[in-house]
Order: sequence, then structure tokens, then C-alpha cells
Amino acid sequence: MTSPSPDPVDLRVHAQYRRDFTEEADVVVVGSGPGGAVVAKELTDAGVRVVLLEEGPPFTPADFEADGGISMARTMREGGLRTTRGTVMPTMQAIALGGGSLVNSAICVRSPEFVLDRWCADYDLERTARADLESHYDAVGEFIGISPTPDEVQGPRNLLFRDGCDVLGYESEPISRNVRGCRGSGECFTGCRSRAKQSMDITYVPAALRGGATVLTSVRVEGVLCEGSRATGVEGTVVEPLTGRATHRFRVNAKVVVLAAGCMATPVLLQKSGNLANGSGQVGENLRFHPGVAVMGIFPDEVNPRFGATQGMQSLQFVSQGFKLETLWAPPAIPAVRLPGSAMELKERLSLLPYAAIWDAIGSCNRSIGRVRPRRRGLDPVLSWRLQPDDVGILTSALLRLAEIFFAAGAHSVLPGVNGLAPEMRSLEEAQVLRTHPVRSTDLVVSGNHAFCTTRMHGDPTRGVVDESGRCHDLDNLYVADTGVFPECPSVNPMWTGMAIAHRTAGAIADRV
Amino acid sequence: MQGVILVVVAASLGGLILRAAARYPRPRQRYRRLLASEAAIVDAAAETFFPPGGQIQSSGADADAPAYLDRLLDVSQPRIRTLVRLLFFAVEHATLVFPAPGRGGFRRFTKLSAEQRMAVLDAFASSGLFARRLLFVSLRSLLTMAYLHHPPVQRDLGIEPWEIDTPVCEADLFYPPIGGLPGDIRFTRDDVTAPTDRGTPLDRAAGKSS
Repeated sequence: MTSPSPDPVDLRVHAQYRRDFTEEADVVVVGSGPGGAVVAKELTDAGVRVVLLEEGPPFTPADFEADGGISMARTMREGGLRTTRGTVMPTMQAIALGGGSLVNSAICVRSPEFVLDRWCADYDLERTARADLESHYDAVGEFIGISPTPDEVQGPRNLLFRDGCDVLGYESEPISRNVRGCRGSGECFTGCRSRAKQSMDITYVPAALRGGATVLTSVRVEGVLCEGSRATGVEGTVVEPLTGRATHRFRVNAKVVVLAAGCMATPVLLQKSGNLANGSGQVGENLRFHPGVAVMGIFPDEVNPRFGATQGMQSLQFVSQGFKLETLWAPPAIPAVRLPGSAMELKERLSLLPYAAIWDAIGSCNRSIGRVRPRRRGLDPVLSWRLQPDDVGILTSALLRLAEIFFAAGAHSVLPGVNGLAPEMRSLEEAQVLRTHPVRSTDLVVSGNHAFCTTRMHGDPTRGVVDESGRCHDLDNLYVADTGVFPECPSVNPMWTGMAIAHRTAGAIADRV
Repeated sequence: MQGVILVVVAASLGGLILRAAARYPRPRQRYRRLLASEAAIVDAAAETFFPPGGQIQSSGADADAPAYLDRLLDVSQPRIRTLVRLLFFAVEHATLVFPAPGRGGFRRFTKLSAEQRMAVLDAFASSGLFARRLLFVSLRSLLTMAYLHHPPVQRDLGIEPWEIDTPVCEADLFYPPIGGLPGDIRFTRDDVTAPTDRGTPLDRAAGKSS
């Protein structure tokens, strides 16, 4: 005997689309990642008729792939092989219901006060200090269960980081994550089979659905529709999951349009819609990343790195110096590709994986600025970005700190992955070469974690795309709710700050609809 | 001078066309995406990166890298497939520009001896040209993923995927599997379980082994 299924909800998947169609809404939200999902749920709660659009499909646990390469090819735009031009660096954007939250490691950190104060001072913002955002952080944190990672699921590779920091007198702390009931399987990046990660597809989106929102998946928005200086809706193509094959056309008419397609897609959408909302000339400009570098450490005893929270410990000790340190794990093939050498040398290094831990650093590289432009065909972006020498210095300093912590924790060698230096260093003295060696941007293996600023908020309409409520300066009823609105790097993992700002944006929209 | 350059370019192009048109051995199975030439390149490179012996017994050939890469290409978008194919092509024919040491160093990568292949890849890895190093890292990354996908390698390294009882959450009542219809959702509200108190995968493994 089973109880009936829950009340029917209006979620549509690709197999349900039979013909071209048009929907009506008070608010249409483009993108179901951490920004869009929050806006959709909060507006639905406020009694607003919302249509939430997502190009990717919902992924169920049956759809997850534990293999890193296959998983990325299925869940990431451009198969996970998107790179920047200039300084070539891989960067990713998910294509799935829930956006990046489905395949991130759930790290939630409030941006430091000094960062938000600088945003306010340098970008003419009056309501974006930490105190202004606290209630929004709290509301989001409570809803998705943000809490520190417990020791039971840290596993040795996370706890060794704490040990190393303790020896050196560096601050460290368990990472707070949007997770309930983590089992330490270390599978955050390929989809949490334990259903512990409170990603948007199992929190905010279901809540919006229960509240009456319509959620259309497998729909690719290709343009924002306008009449005069007002947005009137969006239009685009229905696409088959995973292949992207176009099957039908659709349109959603709405009183308010919210773009939350991510900071690499939202500017492209505006540019492809007739260079919309670009009176300031800032759409697609100011692209910034938190470039990441990582060090692998080899310990004398087995670490069994596959067990433990994907990213369980962090140190904020050096955030004011431009970098944050954290622990890391990924499907084994991903860290393994960092190992130097080939043939027997490579096989020998691979056999050390059970003794290895990987810790990484993300840099607040505010001096390295790029831009987003559309390709001639399609909606994938061209990302131009160059890592500046000063920011290379930040990242090499971070590498040295990581090496320090490894040796303090008892590692017998570290692999910093810097071209031109010894692939394996067996002492801290050896690692000191990172202080003196002239490292170029192309010598580092960097990854483009977290992207921002391509539709930045600014109090001055001539210098920014949106105001503090996320409303475009040029169009009264067009909003942006993703990390593109950040004026600079947030210095820590951006999800919680992006959601808090989106929460505030939802409030502003609810007040007017 | 211009004439000399034209002759060199024409000769190179001619050589490239001849090499590209050359026959390759029949692959061990029929692939959905990989061509026979690409399967041969993958096999040759995998065996070079992961020779037999050592602490991990399996070699690159044992791991059947072409099968993994065929699946990867199959789930990838056309642009990515093209890029990966260009990578294989570049590896196979790079000896035209950067010949392997020893006799016949200008032959295709797949026609070189094991030592020559190793020398070619080592030269890629230590090249002063960023693009050449990138080629090496890209190829090694793909082959490492293929190698570590091989269950015996996973067993040797203790990195097999966990066995996990996946709980059912409320969202699972809303979403069909990819490609399915709402009628394909297998769960009802009675199936919903809290995602807690199930222990860690280590507990489970310990329970199994005891």
C-alpha cells in the first residue's frame, strides 16, 4: 500500500514537448542555478506567477556517472572543456536543473566584511555592506541547511590539513556546506548519490514547484524580447537533453524578466538581444575569476583520499593577502591527470594515490580582467582573460603556503605542478624555490573557479549594468540574479553571497509585481 | 625564396595527405565514434603512457582506452569531438615537424617504435612551446582517465566507486530519468527516506568485509 504521489507539480521535461508553445507569467526567470532558483522560490512564496526556465535536464541519481570525464561531458557546457583565451585556463559551467549546485562541492562562506566594504566604497553602493546582507545570508542558510562539516565525515585528507595548520599556527576551520546527512563519499563533483547535498534541484526548485511555479527544463533561451524600454519576455528553442538538438520553439511573455544564466551566459544573452541594457558599455566586461592552483602531497601512511567530504577544511588566514586555502578531492582521474611524468614513472606515481591528498588555493585575482563575447553562432561565450604577473605572485605564494602545510602535516613530498620546477619536492627548503623562481602565468596549472562581474552592479548607471536590487539601469523590468552582478571577486567561494544577493533581488521584484 | 617556401609547404601538405590516407589495422571492436586510425593512435599512446609491469599490473592496452574514449566522444558535443579528433591527428602527425630520434623518425606516431614514441611524448612534455606542452597534457589527461576507468586498475589503487544505498528525497518524486516522462518516476511518497543515519561508505565496506 502506498500513499499517493504529491500534488501534481508543473515541471516539464523534453519528452513532454510536442509542439511550439507560448507561456504567460508575471516573472520569467532564466536559469535554475543558485541565483535563479532562489528568485523563483521567493517570488512564488510571495504569490507571484513564476515560470523558471532551464536549458539542462533534471539529473536523477540514476543519471549520475561516477567517472569524472563522462560526468563532465554530460553535466557541463562544452563538455567541461571550456577554456579562456589569452591565458589558457579551463573553466566550467553546468547545464542541469540546479545549475552548478548539482556538481559543486557545496562550499558556503559569507564574503568578508572588508570585501563588501570595498565594493560599497568603490562602486557607489549603499546597501551592500555585510550588515545589509546578513538577513539574506541567514534566510538562505537556514533553508538549505548550511552547517560546518562534522569530523566524522572529514576523512584523513581533510584532517591532515587541520593538523598542518595547527603546527604552523594558521587558522583553519571545517567548511560550512549546504549538506544534510553527508556520508563522506567524496562524490560532490559528479552528483551526490547520498542525496545529502542540498543542491537547488532538491531544495529551492521543488519548493518553487510546490508553491505553484512552472519549471520548464530543456529550454534554451536565445533572446530577451523588448518593446521600447521594457522587456516583454524571452524566446528560444527546446533542446534535447545531452545532445542539444533543437526540436521546438517557445516563448514566455512576462511582466518582469530575470536573467540568472550565470556570468558567462547572461552577458551573451544581452549581447545577442541587440546589445541590451548596455548603455554603460559594461555588459560582458570586467570578467574576473578565482583562479585555482593545487598541490598534491604524498604521505608516508595511507590517506585513503577517496573517503571524506570533497572539500571539508579551509583556512581564511590569507584571504586579506589575496588567497584562500582549502582541501580538495575529485574523481580520481581528475587529480591523477596532474601527476607528472609518463610510462613507468607515471605508473609509479599513480600507485601513490592512496597516500595522496590534494589541497588547493583560490586567488582573488582582481587585476586579471577579461571579457565575454558571443560566438558568431550559438550561445557559448568567447572568454578572453589574461592572468597578470602580480596575480601570478598571489598564486605562487599560495602554493608555497600549501607546501608548508603539507610538510607540517607530515608529508614526505609535494607535487606543486609548476612548469620549470622540480615535479616533486621533498622538503620545505626545496619548496622555497617558489619564492625566488620567476614563475610565468603559463607555468602554472590554473583552473578558472568561480567567475564574476560581467554585468556588475554600480550605483552610477554609466559605470555598471545593474543597481543594488539587480535591476538593469537601462530597462526598468529586467533584472540580473547571478554572480555577474558582483563588482569584484568576493575572495571566498561565491555561492552563498550570490544567493543572498538574489534573495534581496527577489524581495525587490516582489515589492513591485 | 618564395618558391622554396612554396615547395616546402606543398611537400609538407602532400606528405600529410599521404600519411592521413594511410591504412590502419582493424580495431579490436566496432566503435560508435572512433575511427580505426584514432583507435590505433589511442592504443599506441596508451601503451606508451602505461607500459606493462610495475605496481599496477594492467597496461594501457589492457585498459582498452579506445572503448572509454569512444564513450566519452559519444556523450560529447560535436565541437568537443572535433577538438579531440584534432588532438589525435596532431599527435599522429607531429613527427613531420618534430621528428622522433633515430631511424625513420618522420614516420607517423603509430608507426614508431615504443622507444621513439616515448621520446616524442617526452619532448612534448618538456617543450618550451606552451601549445606543445598543452597537447601533451591534454593527451595524457584523456588517457589517464581511460586508464583509471579500468576496474583492475581501480582495484589496485583502492579507488573503486563506493557502493551507496541512494536514499529517496522529495525531489525524486518530481523528476523522471533523462529522456523519460513523468510516468517513468518510480517513487511514491512512501519511498522518501531521510538522507541520514546510513553510515559512511567506510562503515559499509567494513561491515561487508567482516
